[in-house]
Amino acid sequence: MNGYMGKILRLDLTNKQKKTISTSDYEEFLGGHGIGSAIFFDAVKDKTISPFNPKNVITLMTSPLSGTLAPSAGGRTEVQGLGPQPYPTEWFTRSNFGGRFSAMLKYAGYDGIVIEGKADKPTWINIVNEDVVFEDADGLWGMDTYSTQEEIWKEVSGNPSNSPEDREWYQKDRGRDDGRTTQKPAVVAIGPSGEKKSRIGALIHEAGNAAGQGGFGGVFGSKNLKAISVLGTNSIEVADPNALMKAREWIHENYEYDEEDPECEHPLDYGSFPGFSFITDAPGSGMGFWPKVEPARPQGCLSCPKNCRMRTESGYGSESICVEVVMYGGQSPKERYKSANLAQRHGINVYPISTTGHKYLYDLYKQGFLGENGEVETDLPFEKYGEMEFIRALLNKISSREGIGDDLSEGVVRAAEKWGRLEQDLSSGLLQRPNWGYPQHYDPRIEVNWPYGSILGSRDINEHGFNWDIHWIPQVSTMLGLDPVFDAEEVVDNVSNAVVPFEGNKSMFDFGEDNIYSKDMVKTIAWQRYYSRSWKQSVQYCDWFFPNFHNPSNSPTNQGFTPEAEPKFFNAVTGRNISFKDGMNIGKRIWNLDRSIWALQGRHRDMEKFADYVYEVPKKAPYFVSSKQNGEWKWENGKGRTLDRDKFESWKDRYYEFEGWNTETGRPTRGNLEELDLGYVADELEEKDKI
Amino acid sequence: MVNRRDFLKGIAGGAGAAVAGFALGSSTDLMKEVEGRTFENLKSMVEAPPSEAYLLVDREKCAGCRSCMLACSLVHEGKENLSLSRIQVIENPLAGFPDDLVQEQCRQCQYPECVAACPTGALSVDEVNGNVRLVDEEKCIGCQRCIEACDQINNPARAAWNHEDEYSLKCDLCIDTPHWEENGGPDGKQACVEICPVNAIKTTDQIPVQIGQKGYKVNLRSSKWKELGFPVE
Repeated sequence: MNGYMGKILRLDLTNKQKKTISTSDYEEFLGGHGIGSAIFFDAVKDKTISPFNPKNVITLMTSPLSGTLAPSAGGRTEVQGLGPQPYPTEWFTRSNFGGRFSAMLKYAGYDGIVIEGKADKPTWINIVNEDVVFEDADGLWGMDTYSTQEEIWKEVSGNPSNSPEDREWYQKDRGRDDGRTTQKPAVVAIGPSGEKKSRIGALIHEAGNAAGQGGFGGVFGSKNLKAISVLGTNSIEVADPNALMKAREWIHENYEYDEEDPECEHPLDYGSFPGFSFITDAPGSGMGFWPKVEPARPQGCLSCPKNCRMRTESGYGSESICVEVVMYGGQSPKERYKSANLAQRHGINVYPISTTGHKYLYDLYKQGFLGENGEVETDLPFEKYGEMEFIRALLNKISSREGIGDDLSEGVVRAAEKWGRLEQDLSSGLLQRPNWGYPQHYDPRIEVNWPYGSILGSRDINEHGFNWDIHWIPQVSTMLGLDPVFDAEEVVDNVSNAVVPFEGNKSMFDFGEDNIYSKDMVKTIAWQRYYSRSWKQSVQYCDWFFPNFHNPSNSPTNQGFTPEAEPKFFNAVTGRNISFKDGMNIGKRIWNLDRSIWALQGRHRDMEKFADYVYEVPKKAPYFVSSKQNGEWKWENGKGRTLDRDKFESWKDRYYEFEGWNTETGRPTRGNLEELDLGYVADELEEKDKI
Repeated sequence: MVNRRDFLKGIAGGAGAAVAGFALGSSTDLMKEVEGRTFENLKSMVEAPPSEAYLLVDREKCAGCRSCMLACSLVHEGKENLSLSRIQVIENPLAGFPDDLVQEQCRQCQYPECVAACPTGALSVDEVNGNVRLVDEEKCIGCQRCIEACDQINNPARAAWNHEDEYSLKCDLCIDTPHWEENGGPDGKQACVEICPVNAIKTTDQIPVQIGQKGYKVNLRSSKWKELGFPVE
């Protein structure tokens, strides 16, 4: 079928074997996450093994849209497998990274890579079209992620730099028949942190594309796998090229920020405070609130119309966005950007060492618990907290597992558990890790679709679909001291218009104190789970561009392109004719498959509880969401709220019932799985007594 | 069409005629060996009727998303393949701005060595379509001499090779886009220009300075770009 290359590479590191799986066996799951889950389910017989067991299978999957002009979907790669980061259970989990790795993988001829086993010595995998070679990585072991990529570029195509003499068509020797390319191989690598099997080890591609959550860097390390490099020159067949081109023109004309004549501009001096770009989607907006301190360009993943990252003169902060550039560094943007690069080079997952990481350690130091004379001894230079010296030392220790780094390499939550602090600090909120040990992202007491989705899954969901609209629009304006630029009712209208098959249900976006436990909120969560599993993580439209509800570039209605765009590009490339709703149904199927894998790992509804502080400690800072009060839509400040434990448990009943799951256990049932054509999954659950 | 015989006539006309239509570069460009052409190697070349349009790019504005390359491959070949794009964006993601990226487009040279090198007339100046230098895929015998000729003056060669269907590819300003309903050419639309999200590719009907890169690599940034916090100088 068009869009797919037809085969998935299956690599056994233990036996150095290469096989291929026919993609057509799995196309019913769309691509990306769906195919990854289905392959994992089939390939891993015992799902209760440790992530570091050589039998753990890691998948890196593309989408039928990877490598094509489909907006924001051209370069993302979905990564899945048993992950060492989730706490207390090492769930089957997922991550995803941008850039162009998936595109190159398809140009090389593959829809994905399935990795199993463990190499007997450090190895990297070199893929150039049909040639797949297990290479010796002795010389790369110990290198940071940037140096590793440069070495591999040299090895594969001899073009580590971008100087004029290095700008060439490569693969000339084979080029007449096999094609040539000016592009560098796309490399995904681990740093020293992953090599040491850190649970917060990340996979890094280029300067700032990271699959951080889940700890897959540590899994690569456990498999002695340093990097995978791909270079390809094959074509991706497209069913209707004209329709694909016209659809992209439609996005360009109606929904992109027009840098020459924007319809919604920043109300303040943009250069000094680009926070409003959360709303305008302007190029380079991913650096969030931090000013541009040096000459730079906006930079995008393959086929992105938004180009949210930047590449800077010094290289600091290049391609890093959001929490990566707010991880550390006080008020000095330059130090923030430097810190981001350091973490990317070490291959350390930034989020768990961000504010809920280093700040927590600093709080323990101030209490006298950590430090040279503390209960837990460490020579971390806390007196330099806020300066580069501290973050350098912290990252070095985590990366090398030296001293306290050995504990911290397991993640702050497992370190706190070892130190006997976990229960009290999760209860007081000193350690803000609401679900599965992952850092608090958006407020779990107020913007509940985020934590509800997370606790029903395996990680912090990191899905901004509703978040830009129902939270950031009022939040940014308030932070800037402005009245919200858009009215709550207009925004909620635009969101609710798009949420097929629940379109028109505005109550799904009432985040008032009562409605967050309602049946409407069940639909909010279900919609987001299905959408994410299908369009976002399988078709792999980028989270920072899709879904699109309220779009200020599309005046006067400001209505975004969801649900029209999602099937439009998918159908143009594949030649299939599925509707948005069809995609949502496939998403529901994938979500239930994941839910079954977690059941096989022992998931029970009793585990689906937040850290105590979420129920006990009121939100201290202003935090805005949409809500309906006395018949009127408002931007409500949720300051002072906690989540009600009993009401949340009742909400879980309602959610499980909606899904057709067992309300006692929270697990899928045979009936609900068979309805989704997952009878074979029900068989395995029954065999393992998990249904 | 200018065929090979016309070119031979052109050579007989001598270098003087060639230099008459020559858009001069700055004296700095003339003095030193620069990328692209030098005055010395132009003197010996044959002028063809000038193309009525040229692609210009802004390498400090380009966001590296390669949408232009994907659009180019798509509208011409009906497939997605960066290797089949007639415009190339080459990145070193680990280098610092602005040396991290170049956009390399066909220059529609006033003295097209690719045309001169083609032994069959497959690569010619299309007088019906605004003198764009383009490849007739039916006539192309796959000798790759056009690519080699371009490679002598440009890194990388702007003529590319379609290894799947075995013919040379070069920018035709979208005159021949069987997979796109729009009309291209000097007076029409170009897929790369239409799609670029940051407007880092434009066309001009003015002949760019032929020596060096400056005529083709220009500043397309407006004051709005500055408001976004990016350099405009």
